[in-house]
Amino acid sequence: MRQLTMILSMLALAGCVAMAKVEKGERAIGDRLAVKIEGAWNQLDGPELGPAQTWTMEGLPIDQLLLYSGVKDGDLVHASGGDGKRKDFAFKANMQADEIVGMFEGMLTRDGSSFKLTRLEPSSFGGLSGFHFEYTLIRKVDNVVLTGVGWGAVSKGELFAMLYMAPRLAFFARHAADVERIAMSAKIRQSAQ
Amino acid sequence: MFCGALFTTGLRAQHPQPWNAPARFARPDLDSDEGGLWALMDRQERRLRRSPFVIRDHSLNNYVQDIACRLGGKHCPDIRVHLVRTPLFNASMAPNGMMQVWTGLMLRMENEAQLAAVLGHEIAHYLERHTLERLRDIKSASAFATFVGLFGAAGAIGQLATLAATFGFSRDQERAADRIGVLLMRKAGYDPAEAAKVWGNLLAESKARPDGGGASTLPMFATHPGAEERNETLATLAAEQPGGTTNATTWRERVRPFRSDWLREEIKLGQYEESVSLFTRMIESTPRDAELLAARGEVHRRHGGDRQFDLAVADFRAAEQIGHEPPEVHRGLGMIYRRRGASREARASLKHYLELAPQAPDAPMIRSYLEELGQ
Ligand SMILES: [Zn+2]
Repeated sequence: MRQLTMILSMLALAGCVAMAKVEKGERAIGDRLAVKIEGAWNQLDGPELGPAQTWTMEGLPIDQLLLYSGVKDGDLVHASGGDGKRKDFAFKANMQADEIVGMFEGMLTRDGSSFKLTRLEPSSFGGLSGFHFEYTLIRKVDNVVLTGVGWGAVSKGELFAMLYMAPRLAFFARHAADVERIAMSAKIRQSAQ
Repeated sequence: MFCGALFTTGLRAQHPQPWNAPARFARPDLDSDEGGLWALMDRQERRLRRSPFVIRDHSLNNYVQDIACRLGGKHCPDIRVHLVRTPLFNASMAPNGMMQVWTGLMLRMENEAQLAAVLGHEIAHYLERHTLERLRDIKSASAFATFVGLFGAAGAIGQLATLAATFGFSRDQERAADRIGVLLMRKAGYDPAEAAKVWGNLLAESKARPDGGGASTLPMFATHPGAEERNETLATLAAEQPGGTTNATTWRERVRPFRSDWLREEIKLGQYEESVSLFTRMIESTPRDAELLAARGEVHRRHGGDRQFDLAVADFRAAEQIGHEPPEVHRGLGMIYRRRGASREARASLKHYLELAPQAPDAPMIRSYLEELGQ
């Protein structure tokens, strides 16, 4: 049932995902978002990923950092091309913080995982007034409990956001401070260069 | 599985045949294909027991286990019910006696008899050893050689079992499970007419989809011309010997403590039309239920749009009037008023929300909205 699909999609993932090193320093994410990183990350590329840039420290499926730069009204926040049976989640320019979080929640639970919001508060992100949130995710595939954090802001009707999640026991704590520094370093330009 | 692609069609033409439950199954020899299948299912069950998705509440587990036992009769000691927190309509029973019931299915049942209809159907598959039959069908086909090549002989049985489950049961097997399921219901004292209602409700929900039920998200259900007919034939079977209990009140009382979670999970699916259809049906049967009105209001609000906001406000207001409404009613109202620029009303509703749920995860965000709205 689900298992077979999972095995197949994992095989597909293993075959198609390319990994590249992201060196420390100031990194541009798309046209309008830049972050500064203090250590190297790995960037993943593959058909099941995007539109966010997907970075990892420990490797998938352990931890992942999703970086969204300028998601436009009507754009999906996850890779399309599902089986058509699962609901798609798209950004709308007039979404409020809680709705944006709800959208990410929907995205993260498309596979039957369980999401629990533990905090949602105002926060600046990329120099704009935005929001910060925290969550717990129980991943359906392997029953692993993940802790997640996210930041987001909307500028000129486009969404900028960053999500990080990792198994709550060891990995999250290991990288949480780094991730927070990356979020604090984010700069959103008013217009594309 | 209640597999959709394999709906029965010709049930009506069948004459009811006498049927007797088989004796309890002994654990098969590990060297046999059946033994391999059991071992595989035992492994799955061990994993399931540790899963954070399993509902561990004893009283609910015992309640559902008792229903399964009443249906299973002498097979009761071999049936182990596991309630799995997944907001989709599904139930299955493995050859080793492991039964899984998903919470999305529980949410949709209107009474004990409807759950009994689903469990009875699954138990029928078990009693008739349909999975094994299916496994042997596939094994005799050429696919098996490919699987042995890919996964080795031991792995191949596992892969085949997965494959058997993927393809579901044959039409004849589904037909038999429907017929035996009704017999088991009747024997256990349940009104078999409820079996057809399960399908009728599900069909209505699926038809509410914008695409009219083309690609259904319900794993046990896909539109097939046979769906309506199955519904009809089940009703016909039931009419042959009507009567029995539904235990609607008991059912509602027993699932009540868990329902808010299940409603929340349903809302999160973001399937607007289906959720509205489901909640509307539930509200029609218990109109003065603030939690259900709140849930439907929240689905409207999350969808967005002027008309949906109006519908949401109406539901939220109705929930408030009934009383004991969930705090989210006031957050929903406040957010809609805020968006509509009705500052005074937004303030009052958001304040009310914070009073009722000061520790809510989003309380800091709501406080910032209040500041922005001014005192
Ligand atoms: Zn079936």
